[in-house]
Amino acid sequence: MTTNSNKQSRLRSIADSDMAVGWLFTLPFLVLWAWWFFYPFIQSFIRSFQDANFAALDEAKFIGLQNYITILHDPQFYRAVLHSLQIVVIAVPIQTVLGLLVAMLVNQKIKGKGIFRTIFFIPYITSQIAVTTVFMMLFKQGTFVTEFFTLFGFADTTWFADTRYALLFVSLLFIFQQIGFSMIVYLSALQEVPKDLYEAGQMDGASKWAQFRFITIPYVKPITFFVVSVATILGFQIYDQIAAISRYGALGSPAGATSTVVTYFYQNGIRYMNIGYGSAAVVLFFFIIMIITFLQKKLLDEKG
Amino acid sequence: METKKRLGFVSNYLLLIILGSLFALPFLYTIYTSFVTMQDVNKLSGFSNLTFQNYKLFFTNDAYNVPQWLINTVIMTALVILGNLIINPMAAFALAKLDFRGKKIVFWIVLGSMMVPYHMILIPVYVNVAQLGWLNSFAGLTVPFLYQSLYIFMLRQFFVTVPGEFIEAARLDGLTKMGAFWRIVYPLAKSSLITMSILAFAGTWNSYLIPSTLVSDPERYVLVVGLNSVKDAFFENTPLIMAGVVLTTLPILIFFFIFQKQYIEGISSSGVKG
Repeated sequence: MTTNSNKQSRLRSIADSDMAVGWLFTLPFLVLWAWWFFYPFIQSFIRSFQDANFAALDEAKFIGLQNYITILHDPQFYRAVLHSLQIVVIAVPIQTVLGLLVAMLVNQKIKGKGIFRTIFFIPYITSQIAVTTVFMMLFKQGTFVTEFFTLFGFADTTWFADTRYALLFVSLLFIFQQIGFSMIVYLSALQEVPKDLYEAGQMDGASKWAQFRFITIPYVKPITFFVVSVATILGFQIYDQIAAISRYGALGSPAGATSTVVTYFYQNGIRYMNIGYGSAAVVLFFFIIMIITFLQKKLLDEKG
Repeated sequence: METKKRLGFVSNYLLLIILGSLFALPFLYTIYTSFVTMQDVNKLSGFSNLTFQNYKLFFTNDAYNVPQWLINTVIMTALVILGNLIINPMAAFALAKLDFRGKKIVFWIVLGSMMVPYHMILIPVYVNVAQLGWLNSFAGLTVPFLYQSLYIFMLRQFFVTVPGEFIEAARLDGLTKMGAFWRIVYPLAKSSLITMSILAFAGTWNSYLIPSTLVSDPERYVLVVGLNSVKDAFFENTPLIMAGVVLTTLPILIFFFIFQKQYIEGISSSGVKG
């Protein structure tokens, strides 16, 4: 009887101790993290120094920097880096500007603004594969969409199968889906702008443009940095859209016109099962992302 | 002055309608085209020519078995959310309200792994899943994703705001700290947990990279991967593909309309898709 209640009170004191409960509560997370994050993370680095093929992993051998040297001598890798940068440079500014514009439009006191918000937001919650699929059907040669774009000097062609337009097509998809997110973030920022700032501006005779330029823009500036960084990181990670347009071909189809750093590592590491080489490409991808994040932070600190 | 204002309003409204139409067009096109025959693609065919034919394939052809893919997707998503609903709040609570040695390190682990793109670990995860024999299984699709550092961080932000007196009061009533968490603090976090679940739902349901890497058996496809295979296999049959798009996107849209408010709040507060 006494031992039983002793045991019970011991259990009780464990369940009430910060040390015990703290570790007990973080344990499931730590186990999964070590198993499915930390170990793979380290593996990525180790494999990058190995000649390792998925079919014969036991025969993996250390080859030093050879994978990195090969990648850095591969013109296809630089082409992939360039494409990644192109997507970001095209898509990020456009989606940021349009995101703010749309947010301001649906922030007015007008009828049906809720419906418009939903319309702009739906692409964001839809899967990338579904949106890409629909756009592929719309941008086939001879549809009303491609014909419409001939008005702006584009050829009437199947955009995603044409090496001139495929990368633009991918950027367009990203813009279309990302605007909804930027709109929502901007919208919550716009609603925080104090109304009397605009009233004061109106009293001073500031035009709508001047109000936008000198009140709205500075006020949402931190949000703009947030929207830009999120879009940049996501832009670099684009995969689904490119995988969808390549259909049964190699990733980055047509003819490598949409190859990116991500498709480069995926094609080599997973499709060709060249684990070592793919891992080295991933490590380089990681460093590129880190450099960009660092540069953006620096820019933010200087301007802010 | 008044007319100028009016004019500005009208032009704003016009711009909104133009942009809105551009955004709605692919959506309406998809629904409409899913009901026409192949001859009528990109034509206005009139309502009498509309057909359900395109939808039938997905319920009769075993290779393109949408009901099966739907079940797979539901199971995958449900397991991932369940894991996240247990593991994340426990860790978040410990980090916010308990004082234990090593806590700082755990917190840095959360912060550090939050920032890393999944691509970084995809190849080893693929190898490890394969070596466990978990390719084409729910285990492979769910076990590595039962927690999310980002959500732990979000929930921790909430738990920090819960007054310590709540826990002290619960202890005076005879509960242990562990008991106080499950009985008092966990229910208090309801709205944060809903937000997290919604983000996890959308992220898991729409994911393509991971399921397409870990699953190659069409029987085990999730909706998004299945849709991509439909698109590739019937590439010239636009109406059929559009019916596939409608079927695979409908569940997430319904879900969105139910939880629209919480979802948008979650996005604007956390700034993530999941």
